[in-house]
Amino acid sequence: MFKGQIPAPQLQETLTRLDLALIWDAKEIAADIVIFHNPSCLRFQQELDVKIITPHLVVVAHENFLRPGGAEAFDVATCLGMIEQCSFASKRTLAPISAWNRKTIAQWQKTQRSLDRWSVLDVDWFNICDFPLLEPVDAPKDRRGRHSRPGLEKFPQQQFMEQCFPAHAEANILLGADAFVNDPQTPAHWELYPFRSISVEAYFEMIDFMIYFTAPTFRESYGRVLAEAVAAGKLTISDPETASAFGGAVQAASPEEVDGIIQSYIADPSTYRAKIIAAQRALEQFSPSAFATRFNTIFATEMSMGK
Amino acid sequence: MIFLCAGERSERTFDALLLLAVQLDRAGYAVGIDASFLPDDAPRYQKFEAAMYLCDASDVTPAIILMIGADSIADDVKLALRALPGTADTAVYGLGRFATHQMLLNAQNTLAYAVGRDVEVIDLTVWQGETTLIEDSILPLVTSISPSPIPSRTQRPKVLVYAPHDSLQQDAVLPELLAMSHSGTFDLQIVTSGQGKDFIRRSSYAYLSVFGYSELPPSGLLSYADIVAFFGPNVPGARMAQLAMEAMGAGKVVIDCTEDSSFIDAGAPLLDGPASLLSFASYLEGVVLPHRAEIGRRIQQSPWLAKFDLAHLERQIGLTRPAATPAPASTSGSTLFFPTNGSGLGHAQRCALIAAEVSPDHNVRFAAFPSCVDMLKNRGFDCLPMVQRSEEFAEGFANDLVNYRRLSSLMAPGDQLVFDGGYVFDSVYRVISASQTPAIWIRRGLWQAGQIHPNALEREHIFSKVIVPTEAFEELNAVYSRGEQVHHVGPVVNTTTSDTDRATLRSRLSALFERPFETLVVSMLGGGVASDRSVQTQMLSSTLERRSDCLHLVVAWPNAVVPDGCYGWKNTRVVQTQNTLDLCRAADLTVSAAGYNSFHELLYAAVPTLFIPQSAPYLDDQERRARAASERGLAGLVLESELMSLGREVNAVLDGGKAAEFAAAHTEITLPDIGNKAAAALIETGAGQ
Repeated sequence: MFKGQIPAPQLQETLTRLDLALIWDAKEIAADIVIFHNPSCLRFQQELDVKIITPHLVVVAHENFLRPGGAEAFDVATCLGMIEQCSFASKRTLAPISAWNRKTIAQWQKTQRSLDRWSVLDVDWFNICDFPLLEPVDAPKDRRGRHSRPGLEKFPQQQFMEQCFPAHAEANILLGADAFVNDPQTPAHWELYPFRSISVEAYFEMIDFMIYFTAPTFRESYGRVLAEAVAAGKLTISDPETASAFGGAVQAASPEEVDGIIQSYIADPSTYRAKIIAAQRALEQFSPSAFATRFNTIFATEMSMGK
Repeated sequence: MIFLCAGERSERTFDALLLLAVQLDRAGYAVGIDASFLPDDAPRYQKFEAAMYLCDASDVTPAIILMIGADSIADDVKLALRALPGTADTAVYGLGRFATHQMLLNAQNTLAYAVGRDVEVIDLTVWQGETTLIEDSILPLVTSISPSPIPSRTQRPKVLVYAPHDSLQQDAVLPELLAMSHSGTFDLQIVTSGQGKDFIRRSSYAYLSVFGYSELPPSGLLSYADIVAFFGPNVPGARMAQLAMEAMGAGKVVIDCTEDSSFIDAGAPLLDGPASLLSFASYLEGVVLPHRAEIGRRIQQSPWLAKFDLAHLERQIGLTRPAATPAPASTSGSTLFFPTNGSGLGHAQRCALIAAEVSPDHNVRFAAFPSCVDMLKNRGFDCLPMVQRSEEFAEGFANDLVNYRRLSSLMAPGDQLVFDGGYVFDSVYRVISASQTPAIWIRRGLWQAGQIHPNALEREHIFSKVIVPTEAFEELNAVYSRGEQVHHVGPVVNTTTSDTDRATLRSRLSALFERPFETLVVSMLGGGVASDRSVQTQMLSSTLERRSDCLHLVVAWPNAVVPDGCYGWKNTRVVQTQNTLDLCRAADLTVSAAGYNSFHELLYAAVPTLFIPQSAPYLDDQERRARAASERGLAGLVLESELMSLGREVNAVLDGGKAAEFAAAHTEITLPDIGNKAAAALIETGAGQ
């Protein structure tokens, strides 16, 4: 299933350090604890051709099970069913990655009897934000931007986009705006870059404010781009629900409020700097050291519970 | 309004949108199709069908947005969905066929992300099963199922046979179809591809009644069928599959004569007919016709058909079908005359003469081209302007698209349409076919040899009556089509003149033009569009300029091209009038083209006339008409090529006693009774009777 893909750099580094070989598409996996990341990756498969033998299988959700409004985000029952069918485990646990992600699992669970066979981890799985922390600028300008993958779920409706990226802004930089590049309706004052067409560093050089709203029918389970922007020293604004995952590091607002917020920070650069530095401190909860502590706790607890 | 769009943009998906739109429209719903889905190179038939439904998303606030083909949504469509019309209350539905639940969720998510609100995606396989008549079709393939079989409107059942080009090419097939077309037990219509139709038209069997399969929507074709049979290798595409569905829903007999029995293999409750057209007539007469009603009833009640009932879709998207408008009594409708417009006003004038004889109890209205509107209104008729063809439009039929919409909006249930023209416009053809509008065709004869072709008559079958205003002289009355629907009436002629006597008229003209005259000549050689008559007009003006006591009036029709040189002569004046007959009665000589109306007016008024026939290929045979009068000594004839004899002929009438010869000939001849009243009576009795 993953053959031909490039391993994540962090995973590759870990394997190298431990002198372990990566086994692609193993037909049998046996371990004291098996962690299966992102069950939604099975959504386009009809079967999972692997045997997982373990006392404790942890499935890290990553993607939300439901969309805002309650519609299924993917065929969760089929994906979990495939994992169930191929695993021989004493215990199966779902691990949410954020408060919102947990909420969608709980809501979905209410409608599904099959999930009775799965427990849900008490604490949220971790996100590691190992980004270098950059200084905010001294005098911010009305230079706005957003970046994401190019899917339309990442973009709000057009009128909200135009509120967030108005003609009077000094710059409106949209990275990952593949869908809009050839759209004649796209406002001329938007500077569009397809996904990965420029480096994220170059993109951050062009903005002082990161404005990130998604389609109202979609919500990030975590939203790494927001943490990335905070670390890059940008004042970061998003909807209240998405912002809530970051413990105050991301400013909550509605699209109509964005313009006023930006103007207030431009008028008060010191508050702008203070806000970003505070936000960067709030990211500490997602740091590698925080991760190590949390992982060890979870690992020790779950290992003992699996026995 | 239900606003329709599709998962991708193509001619195929647009066709599916049209077919669904017609279904919903006929069920009584207001329907719109997102105009951005019209393909750049959409064929003519799609533009006509779409004309009733296309709307820009920014112009409407629909109650429901319905996307077909939601199982495959293209990137450009996703982007366009962000600008969909409506409010937060507008319900959005996707229709598709999904192999897995995940595929349905993908579609649901894609739509929800694009439109920014929750949507419902409906899996057609839930009610229709995984097998339908056509694989990989974006068309939902649904039909209204009437409570009981829709009865035939005619005594003999109408049989609609679909046969592809290849089938028509097989030995003995066309002769067999010809034999079937003369059957005494049923009426045959053939449906085929454009290529197949062309093949028939070029063959010795050119007069077979043939539809191109895209010529009318399936519901329009179904108007001409009580029994439908499909020949060829397999199910012939979405349109014919929809035709089969609608035929089944209406309780018609539908026969699968395909080589692979494709309809039956898909589970459809069609009769299993012979794959050869050569065996079809005997199968039809021996097996089908004796049990036609029962077969139709059973097909209609089939559980398989029930799966494709439009009612499923209506329930899924919360539609309540509007109550059907009760059909008015047949006598309560009005009659709409729609005369075409050639280079002059002939068709409109003829219609006006007939309409004037229709009983005042009968509501008569007109739709006509702008040049005719004033004339019709002056005669007391309500008239809606239609759009004239113009070189300035991007497409030659662009005006007819607008006229199609106008005509459709003018026609109410119970109305009848009277069309006067040589070529039956698509607008007329479609309006009549769409709702089986009772229709009458006024079709004068005397076609030129090149015009006598099956194509000219192929749309005659949509009219329940054809009124042929005859020519005054029998040898000019060729018969182009036969049948009980064809009614010949006497010449339709304007004989109405003012009560003013000739001397008074001449003195008024003298006063009007501020010059005394002894000799009055009127020339009306046409509008200059069909045939350029500026040289003849100049020659006449020159000839008459030499007379000291002459007034020459050049009648200019609306839209006429009047040569500048007409204004340089002291004896010549250009006039516009709707009372040409009065002018001609007052004249010593009329020099005229030989169009049907002018010719017969002058003939029946027995005024001294020289005819200069017009000769455009799309006109009637004016030379034959003028020659018939000339050979009887009733008028003179000067051909276009005989310019130098024009002056001599004019002088011969004015000075040489030829006018007396004409008058003498008139006393010797008995012209047929005029047919204005007879034509009006046929219209009054109605197209359906």
